[in-house]
Amino acid sequence: MQILTQLIYSGIALGMIYAVIAFGYQLTFATSDTLNFGQGDALMLGALVGLTLVGLGLNYWLMIPLVCVFGALQGAVVERIGVRPAIKIKSEFGWIMSTIALGIIFKNVAENVWGRDDLKFPSPLPESPLKFLGANVLPMEILVVVGALLMMLAVEFFNRKTIYGKAVVATFNDRDAAKLMGINTGLVITFSYALSSLTAAFAGVLIAPLTLTGATMGAVLGLKAFAVAIIGGLTSGMGIVVGGIILGIAETTTGFYLSTGYKDVPGLVLLLIVLAFKPAGLFGKTAIKKV
Amino acid sequence: MKFSARWITATALAAASFAATAADPIKIGVSGPFTGGSSSMGVSMRDGVRLAAQEINKNGGVLGRQILLVERDDEAKNERGVQIAQELINREKVVATVGFINTGVALAAQRFYQDAKIPVMNNVATGSVITQQFKDAPDNYVFRNAAHDSIQAPMIVEEAITRRGFKKVAILADSTNYGQLGRADLEKALELKGVKPVAVEKFNIKDVDMTAQLLKAKEAGAEAILTYGIGPELAQIANGMTKLGWKVPMVGSWTLSMANYIDNAGPGGEGARMPQTFIQEPTTPKRQSFIINYLKTFNPKNARIDSPVSAAQGYDSVYLLAAAIKQAGSTEGPKVKAALEDLKAPVEGVVTTYSKPFSKGDHEAITANIPVFGEVKGQRVVYAYPDDFKKASEVRVKDPNAKGALTATKK
Repeated sequence: MQILTQLIYSGIALGMIYAVIAFGYQLTFATSDTLNFGQGDALMLGALVGLTLVGLGLNYWLMIPLVCVFGALQGAVVERIGVRPAIKIKSEFGWIMSTIALGIIFKNVAENVWGRDDLKFPSPLPESPLKFLGANVLPMEILVVVGALLMMLAVEFFNRKTIYGKAVVATFNDRDAAKLMGINTGLVITFSYALSSLTAAFAGVLIAPLTLTGATMGAVLGLKAFAVAIIGGLTSGMGIVVGGIILGIAETTTGFYLSTGYKDVPGLVLLLIVLAFKPAGLFGKTAIKKV
Repeated sequence: MKFSARWITATALAAASFAATAADPIKIGVSGPFTGGSSSMGVSMRDGVRLAAQEINKNGGVLGRQILLVERDDEAKNERGVQIAQELINREKVVATVGFINTGVALAAQRFYQDAKIPVMNNVATGSVITQQFKDAPDNYVFRNAAHDSIQAPMIVEEAITRRGFKKVAILADSTNYGQLGRADLEKALELKGVKPVAVEKFNIKDVDMTAQLLKAKEAGAEAILTYGIGPELAQIANGMTKLGWKVPMVGSWTLSMANYIDNAGPGGEGARMPQTFIQEPTTPKRQSFIINYLKTFNPKNARIDSPVSAAQGYDSVYLLAAAIKQAGSTEGPKVKAALEDLKAPVEGVVTTYSKPFSKGDHEAITANIPVFGEVKGQRVVYAYPDDFKKASEVRVKDPNAKGALTATKK
């Protein structure tokens, strides 16, 4: 039992790492039907900028808002350069290539600025584990789970309760109608990209003390997060959390009970099953696309 | 038309006469990962190579010619290694190549050198099969001056089972060529001791969570963990143990000495032990001058060479090649290769003094008696046993009959 608890804890912590990244996919999809495939790289940039700031002697907690500002700017740049031209000409796929391209550019820049070696991110919390219900958790893991949930709640609250959030929702529901109602949809889309990269950068500094920090950290995590977004549903914040936890626990338990050589398989099999039977994801709303 | 033909002939003649002048440099290729997870080995190796080339050039070069290094970053990727091999051979026309950190890259790339009859000196990659790849060919152009896995695996097992008396051990290896070939060697070496590992687990490069692997080892009652992987993931293993509150000794391949393991694992990484051909201690005059010059030239962080073993082996590999070119009196591949197989004068290196390091049938310069055990202590690698440290000034030379190596088999 203790083993299973430990596996579930680690699975949840791992799953929340995926979920915070996947949440960023959901944010931009919600407004513009586009995804930032450079999400993993936004995360990596956030973590590395955070590391530099901490290296300059800044306190971890004070550094977070600065990294968020950086993330928001970075996201806005991605939208202006990569996505807006594609949306303007109503290109279906232009944004895919341009966000991937920007992601690669960011990665190369990071390699030149910070090198390609993995660096250690000093942990703001004690690194000795806590005992909880018979299994061990790191304080940092708790911070990731709590931080991720708070961030998602804040964004959900913003979308549902504030006037600006309503503009975001309206843009998602019908971009043209929203425009006719006087909503500056272009600005809303830029804003959603800024918000999405902000969450990614925040996620980066949140998880960096647990993973290692380096220019290549985004690639694997970004891909896993994409799987989470598909499983949970690209339109549902709740689905992302559940999808992340499912994938995380699937990985740790398969690793233990089956074989560590196959630990990535069940999550991906699940992905295929979801795509076959519920293409909008476990919690996604099935949208009817009128042609 | 006539004019241009004559012009081409003239240029060709000029080029030919230029090529014949003794002053043009001897090009030696350097292939290794200078970026990425294995870069602490690659960069240290390259710096060792540079240091040796500088010294040789300062003393008049080889055959009156200067050594020119052609360095390429293979990014630890097999396909990059292949491209670089072709570029170095066909465009740069190198005389020989030193390097290769990653076993997979070495295996993929060195066949081009074999076909082109250009010697390759593997100075870091340790996969047992590397020098066996072309064993059956009439001429084998692949040499090595690193401790191969068939030496390291039995050393690790000897340390864990015999010296420290662990009865139950778990193996954790990464899923690359390096990790999996090493795992096979470890299992073979354990079998010779009549021990079966209680758990054999795998992890991928960039994995961030090792809970499942470690819990399996813990549940199986492992008293020690034997590792085959590279720095960042090894650090995640040490961090994972801290998290589970379960601490057993780590004994593993020489990569546990990598700076990115030591730095990323922090206090949790202390005590890990691994076979080393060189430890950053000035135990002989040669080693002392090497360490001083290295620190002066490259100025690494905290006066700690990122990967002392790679730096020392990189340095030695150039001296071995230079000695062979000098003895051959030529830069032609087959002649250099023949000279390497029959080096007349001993070569004094940092790791050891190489007297007759290679022969026709034996392309391994390092034998089982040369490496010692290192231990991570106070964020650097030190001698694990005081006795080894005391006797370190007696240079351990190659002993072809040294016991302890697995009999290498071609796979």
